[in-house]
Amino acid sequence: MAASVKTQLAVGGRSLAVTNLDKVLWPRDGYTKGDLIAYYRAVAQWLLPHMQRRPLTLERYPNGIDQAGWWEKHIPKGLPEWVPTVKTAASTRHEQIEFILCDDEATLAYVANLAAVVLHVWYSREPTLEVPDFILIDLDPGEGCTLATLAQVALAARAELATVGITPLVKTTGGSGLHVVVPLEPRYGWDQVKAFAELIARRIHDVEPDRTTLDRTIARRPKGTVYLDFVQVGKGKTYVAPFSVRARDGAPVSMPIAWSEVEAMRRKRAKSTAPEMTRWNISNVPRLLAKDGDPWSKAWQPYGLEPVIAAARSLWS
Amino acid sequence: MAHAIWSGAINFGLVTIPVKLFTAVRSDDLRFNFLHKKDDGRIFNERHCTVCGEKVEYADLVRGYEYEKGQYVTLSDDDFKSVRPEATQSVEILEFVELEQINPMYFDTPYYLEPEKKGRHAYALLRESLREAGKVGIARVIIRSREHLAALKPNGEALILELMHFADELVAQSDFDFPELKEKVAPAELSMAKMLIDSMTVEAFEPEKFTDEYKEAVMAMIEARVAGEQVTAPETKRPAATNVVNLMDVLQRSLEATKRAGTGTAAKPKAVAPKKSASAAKPKRKKSAA
Repeated sequence: MAASVKTQLAVGGRSLAVTNLDKVLWPRDGYTKGDLIAYYRAVAQWLLPHMQRRPLTLERYPNGIDQAGWWEKHIPKGLPEWVPTVKTAASTRHEQIEFILCDDEATLAYVANLAAVVLHVWYSREPTLEVPDFILIDLDPGEGCTLATLAQVALAARAELATVGITPLVKTTGGSGLHVVVPLEPRYGWDQVKAFAELIARRIHDVEPDRTTLDRTIARRPKGTVYLDFVQVGKGKTYVAPFSVRARDGAPVSMPIAWSEVEAMRRKRAKSTAPEMTRWNISNVPRLLAKDGDPWSKAWQPYGLEPVIAAARSLWS
Repeated sequence: MAHAIWSGAINFGLVTIPVKLFTAVRSDDLRFNFLHKKDDGRIFNERHCTVCGEKVEYADLVRGYEYEKGQYVTLSDDDFKSVRPEATQSVEILEFVELEQINPMYFDTPYYLEPEKKGRHAYALLRESLREAGKVGIARVIIRSREHLAALKPNGEALILELMHFADELVAQSDFDFPELKEKVAPAELSMAKMLIDSMTVEAFEPEKFTDEYKEAVMAMIEARVAGEQVTAPETKRPAATNVVNLMDVLQRSLEATKRAGTGTAAKPKAVAPKKSASAAKPKRKKSAA
């Protein structure tokens, strides 16, 4: 292999040294590290608002997605001094970790150059790291789950949340499932939002008992159901950022989508969910965004829990 | 007398001292077996596959490393063998250093090295020279097919081998928030604190004074059971089954408690800076609408 080749990149008023742009990270698709950096720069204006001031965890694949990657919370060695960071306890344990805050395009290009394919961010933002500003339910289709079933469960979640005054957001995970997101006013503790996530998941299960499961043990989940994972919210926990790439064949992107897309999915006859869920990728997403913008940008509206719980107590009991 | 882990040698330069390696720490944690509540039957575990549901024999297991949720790289026994260090039975001394130069945090588990008959004299010579020089040997040693860094130390009549952590295993002190060394303390405070320390100071550390009280209490309970006495265990609370109604009640109470506290958040009041948190929620909309 050739020695590392350096290129200087002018980004956000800074000159950034990037290396090995020709390194192939997706061996079956031919996408390179240069493609990854170009993708993240192309979507920066839509991605950054979702990342800003959230502690960032990198999922790095410097030798391509066929080699084991790793998760990196601590700031990497040689971090440029202009990259903003925050030092905080990464869980309820007390270990302090210094995290990158990906607030600008130069930082985004810098982490892409580290072959950070997947970007995971916190549920809360600096300086209010103790109070999350959204929750999510991970709709994880099990074996034999059809696209229509997954879509039906997502639409049931939307319908139930609508009864208590919430219009949730939805994105693909970039794998086989969907994330249903509810933005919150950043003033509730972790225990409160966790209980709220559990409440929503249990309510969805109540209205869709045959299509969903809450069983954490994979072997016990009924075939063809959607696992409602509500336990991913918490201090120090992360979710795959909207527009983040995934380390899978085809370089799929975790894509915020409009509910009309989910309605269309419900009418499709696909046996499995993955092909539909991964049709957004690093080559088509920049074009789609330039044309239609981020479907979440207008829909992101934080909710207070008090009226929601009051409504739920009269409607969901 | 315990069994030796291996018989081998201490090597440095051209010197070879035949020794046996013994464990020096007796781990005597309380050990329990799981039993079936209704008939006290011993429980054995069966492995089942989460994909096909079949019962899996030991021979059909491989090790998988989860590098991403649900994504595994598997390694076979041969893979492990190919990177396993050659099982040399030796303590290979690489260098000598003054004991004070090693931060005690690096020390992990001690082992005894007992000389074979023909090595006794060389053993004593190494021990005495280390003691007089105030130094310890830094060595590599393989124990149960894993390579370790270790310190060879004189300890009374014995030479002990103390396994050490590799540098990257220690959590960096800089990851934590400690008061600076320059932190100002008043002389009066300092002399008060020193007086307290003096009053609690003992001549010598006597480890025998300290015992594991939890273990003793459990053993006392077990012995009483064996003797046929009734020992009542404290009632432990089981978490209530959660359902939608329950959760809503819990949440409602939690939100009300937060309100009464008047801080706006149940968790950490300091985290709420109304101005900033309001802006925290908004840039998404503003910026992405552009």
